[in-house]
Amino acid sequence: MRVLFFAQLKDATRCEVVELAAASPLDTAQLWGELLRRFPGLAAHRPNVRLARNWEYAGPDARFADADEVALIPPVSGG
Amino acid sequence: MEIKIQLTHEPIAEKIPPPESSGAIGAWLEFRGVVRGEENGQTISALAYEAYPEMAGREIRRLLQEISARHPCSAAQVIHRVGVIPVGETAIYAGVASPHRGEAIALLAEFMDRLKKDVPIWKRRALPDTKTERGSVSRSIVKCEPDNRMAAGHRPALRSLDEAMAEIRAHCQPLPAVRTPLADAFGCVLRETVCAPEDMPPTDRSTRDGYAIRADDASETCSVVDTIHAADWKPRQLKSGEAVRVATGAGLPCEGLRVVMQENVERTGDVIRIVRRESASNIRSRGEEVRQGQPLVPAGTQLNAGALAILAMAGQINPLVSPRLRVLHFTTGDEIVPPEQTPKPGQIRDSNSIFIHSLLRNFSCDVEQAHLPEDFEVAKRMVETFNLQPSTFNLLLVSGGASVGEKDFTRALLEHLGFEIVFSQVNLRPGRPLIFGRNGGRVAFGLPGNPLSHFVCFHFAVAMALACLTGGQPPSFLRGRLAEQLEDEPCPRETLWPARLEWNNATPQLCPLKWASSGDITCVAAANALFRVPAKIGSIEANAEVYFLPTTPIISGGVNL
Repeated sequence: MRVLFFAQLKDATRCEVVELAAASPLDTAQLWGELLRRFPGLAAHRPNVRLARNWEYAGPDARFADADEVALIPPVSGG
Repeated sequence: MEIKIQLTHEPIAEKIPPPESSGAIGAWLEFRGVVRGEENGQTISALAYEAYPEMAGREIRRLLQEISARHPCSAAQVIHRVGVIPVGETAIYAGVASPHRGEAIALLAEFMDRLKKDVPIWKRRALPDTKTERGSVSRSIVKCEPDNRMAAGHRPALRSLDEAMAEIRAHCQPLPAVRTPLADAFGCVLRETVCAPEDMPPTDRSTRDGYAIRADDASETCSVVDTIHAADWKPRQLKSGEAVRVATGAGLPCEGLRVVMQENVERTGDVIRIVRRESASNIRSRGEEVRQGQPLVPAGTQLNAGALAILAMAGQINPLVSPRLRVLHFTTGDEIVPPEQTPKPGQIRDSNSIFIHSLLRNFSCDVEQAHLPEDFEVAKRMVETFNLQPSTFNLLLVSGGASVGEKDFTRALLEHLGFEIVFSQVNLRPGRPLIFGRNGGRVAFGLPGNPLSHFVCFHFAVAMALACLTGGQPPSFLRGRLAEQLEDEPCPRETLWPARLEWNNATPQLCPLKWASSGDITCVAAANALFRVPAKIGSIEANAEVYFLPTTPIISGGVNL
């Protein structure tokens, strides 16, 4: 799956997109586990980050499949 | 509800028409959020916004639909600008139409609150107001994310194209202007607007060989009382029945005259008979071209032959201009041999020296060039033989060595020379490993060594610095259309694609040029423009609108914007 990082998360991970292989769909905890293993710097941001799946905010029960586009959304500040 | 949503890098129009529909609309409510001149207590010049465009559009639509279920409205339009937005310009526009004002006001208020919580758009950085904070070095970037704990010096190295251009602009201040004789001012940037010292022409002038008479004189015959040649100045009032013989270009003796062409007159001795009266007065009036005090050449103009001729005509023989820039250019890499030498296996001829030298010819600067060996210690000693005092150069360019290989020492070299690295990567293809540093009023670029990367980085980055250091017009993107379909794989980075710019009925048309890699030098010779291919897009349809940067001077007045 493609995972996108925005705003300060780009700085924390030093990249804006990463491909994660997911043989079977991941739940939220598994996805975070994988992300934190790759990018320990994300730990500090986790409480404020919402996950999006295919351009919509994902609920707590969401499952993230290999074909999905996932985005980590830090607190927004548009307008 | 009819919904229109747009995310754009361009300024939002001053006026946006209300929705076309129907007499059912009784209220059209508009809101503009503009960038304030202050962020977290700092005076700023601009804010850089970032968006997750695919999701931001959907989220805005979802919010509007959800809120309009409670506050029914007929139409809504939302435009959010992203990229660098200068202070005072609109970041977001929202327009809502409804039968009665109450619904529109309620929907708009709730929508703006929800947008600020849910729509994935971010204020990324504030660009400092360098006019008021000159000399402040460490506050070059004011972070405005509340939870950003990165210390100064550990700022992220990666910039978007827009961010990179804005930061170069913010760090390059115009050098003190100097008075320079006209003969030496070609190519320099004029720093004060030159106005007409007097009316041009200074008196009414005849445009024909003929006879000047009073405009209200109906006499059939007149007596010729004087003759005026082009260089004469003989003021006098004319009475009815009097005429003055005038040559083309001659200054007329007073105002309120007309000139009868000599072909329409029969002259006998000092008397003329007017055979035919023309409707034209055959006079170029005083001040017809330029009135006294009217601007002739605006500040910021790069002086070409025509501008210099106007300055001469206005008597401005020592115009105030930017000084010629002094540029130091180093090439690096042991694989590089001079072009006159036959390369051994593994070596290539140096093309960057002549390339940079030639690109710089469009600017008023003096260039000194040298090649540095790959051994950093040797290179450092060699660089120290150059006079690197602050007064001796304004811009340092280093070709090659900008990546992160073990022999890529550009970054270390710039730091050794006292440059603070502002950024070291741009999220761009080609040209990603571009380094930008500053040291007081001097700036430096580490250019990725491939020719196409050189071409791209020169035009968006080096040209920006040159324009800003001299007070000239900074490079900016223009709108054009793609002449043929672009077929490409989606790239995670934005691309500046080399193209051939041609004109079709005053519309710029861009023909994409083929290029295989950033080392591709053949397309560089054909390219005269670069156009933007957004990240993750891949192919673009023929005739689609694209933004382009001309790489040779064009007559921008002809651009259909």
